[in-house]
Amino acid sequence: MKKLYAVAALLSLFGLADALYLTIEHVTGQSVRCTIISGCSEVLSSPYAVVAGIPLAVIGAATYFTVFSLAILALFGYRIAGTLLTPLVIAMFCVSLWLIYLQAFVIREFCQYCLLSAAITFALLVVMVIVPRYKLR
Amino acid sequence: MKRILPFIIILVVLGAALGSSWYLTRTIPASPTLGSQSPSAKGSPVSQGSPAQQQQPIVQGVPGADPPHVLGPATAPVRLEEFGDFECPPCGLFHPILEQMHAEFGNQLQITFREFPLVPTHQHALAAASAAEAAGMQGKFWEMHDLLYEHQNDWKKEFDVRPIFEGYAKQIGLDVERYKRDMNGDLVAQRIFQDGKRGHSLGVKGTPTVFINGREVPFENLPAEKLRVVIQSELRSGAR
Repeated sequence: MKKLYAVAALLSLFGLADALYLTIEHVTGQSVRCTIISGCSEVLSSPYAVVAGIPLAVIGAATYFTVFSLAILALFGYRIAGTLLTPLVIAMFCVSLWLIYLQAFVIREFCQYCLLSAAITFALLVVMVIVPRYKLR
Repeated sequence: MKRILPFIIILVVLGAALGSSWYLTRTIPASPTLGSQSPSAKGSPVSQGSPAQQQQPIVQGVPGADPPHVLGPATAPVRLEEFGDFECPPCGLFHPILEQMHAEFGNQLQITFREFPLVPTHQHALAAASAAEAAGMQGKFWEMHDLLYEHQNDWKKEFDVRPIFEGYAKQIGLDVERYKRDMNGDLVAQRIFQDGKRGHSLGVKGTPTVFINGREVPFENLPAEKLRVVIQSELRSGAR
């Protein structure tokens, strides 16, 4: 299980970097310009990019940091951290599905960095929920 | 030591995340939303002869499509060149700002539009650029340009935009059959390619990107209030 916590910590670091990039884009307003590499301007300037006045990217960064902290604590033997990690990752996955739905059917534009975050969350789900279940069998 | 090591790791990552965010937020200039001035932008002065603008290097780049689409006289002291994408929402917001500048500055301002369709980010950008260029073949580029921007939200989500653009062609009095031929012709493709080449040679990465007298206008200076100041400043420096 220790290896899985280490992988989860590493994945959450990638997620944190991605979410921080989106946060900086949002805060500095760079997301309002269209660029060759990303279609994020439509997504990040949409009303769904802000929840209760807080940019979703900031919430994402805080969540990835929480996952990282819990994974590190679990790696060093703090059992409660490992217990908290599983529901948090499941919740993140559900939110990611909702955000993909919004991009696909409501905003009808995809932001590559948001999709990367969803992929990282899916990888976290595999590492923290699916793999341990198979291992316990 | 082993007990506190995870907390040290967590604190190091937290510090690195906060530190890098703080540094990057400071180094990237804040960009207000086009069309409506953000509260922070209201307080930030540009009026001091727009020093940021004067510090931008003058760039030449390779020539774009010839002849370019131009509004205003060649003798105008201020030459504004926009690289735009008809499907890009900020370009749509910038369109009325540019119209306003054209109305305010008249013969003192020359506006050039360059095609910079962001493919594949925007699925219909190339078709829209082709439609505008095909209209240009019949001398009605600006009419199509205006319609594409003004109705951006009507066509950008559609699956097939060609019938919509043909409707615009009819509306502005084009020979629709010729327009359809030109839209798929080599000349239109070449013009878009040439403008794109010019954009790349000038370091254009996104849209709208605007140059005034060869200097790139920072994105945060594109709202009307700030762009006006940049143009006035150029007029003053030209008069000196």
